[in-house]
Amino acid sequence: MVHQQQLRISTRGRGTFDISRQVDEVIHDSGVKQGICQVFIHHTSASLILCENADPTVRTDLETFMKKIAPDGDSMFRHIDEGPDDMPAHVRTVLTQSSLSIPVDNGKDTLGTWQGIYLWEHRTHPHTRKITVTVMGE
Amino acid sequence: MVYQDTLQLADHGEGAYEITDLIADFIKESKIRIGTCQLFIHSSSASLLIGDTADEATKNETAAFMAQLAPSSDNIDNKINASMDAIPEAMRYAVAQTSLSIPVSNGRPGIGVWQGIFLWEQSKHAAERKLTITVTGE
Repeated sequence: MVHQQQLRISTRGRGTFDISRQVDEVIHDSGVKQGICQVFIHHTSASLILCENADPTVRTDLETFMKKIAPDGDSMFRHIDEGPDDMPAHVRTVLTQSSLSIPVDNGKDTLGTWQGIYLWEHRTHPHTRKITVTVMGE
Repeated sequence: MVYQDTLQLADHGEGAYEITDLIADFIKESKIRIGTCQLFIHSSSASLLIGDTADEATKNETAAFMAQLAPSSDNIDNKINASMDAIPEAMRYAVAQTSLSIPVSNGRPGIGVWQGIFLWEQSKHAAERKLTITVTGE
């Protein structure tokens, strides 16, 4: 059985947004009890991560880490048509994930207690991001 | 339904080469309309990347960024090497992806307008690369 659904997530600019609940709703709607759930983001300046969800400081620290390794306005970047955050957003996307695969069991995602699925917006301005969730199994 | 094959990709030399059309043709051939497509590269010095197709500079700068983050062993000068700032070349392969998964929607790759799938040959000693494509769905 295959069930596919698209999500549109509005971001408020750079930062992480928990989409675990929305993904779990798609799994529930699919009727699949056991299988795999694939989450895919249709952008090259926003990405997906699985991250610890207990302490928000973890995500703040990830943001700090990315700022350090791919700083906005770095003179090495020439792809800056849309601003100093343009090329760093592409680099951050390549360093993280465009697609995640999660096991489904008992009609639910099998994320660990402290794992959350996050959309990571890398552009400084708000965007609406498209995500496709595909649930396969029986 | 599962449709799988292993393709030999010609040696293109160092750099990133778009293989989106090849993947689209394979999905079409599979006759699967909805599901997922997994790509796996059988190499430790070539990887897979979803990148921006709008501007050629993005692709080149991603490669440049990665080269800076994890320089090729033959590019590391002794000073950097001694300061331990350099990450071994193998780290670049670890940061990049060996496997990618995308949705299949309406018998086509369900990816964004500006997203392209690239084979990223990271070795100066490029070779023919083996890519296994698995399309699963119905």
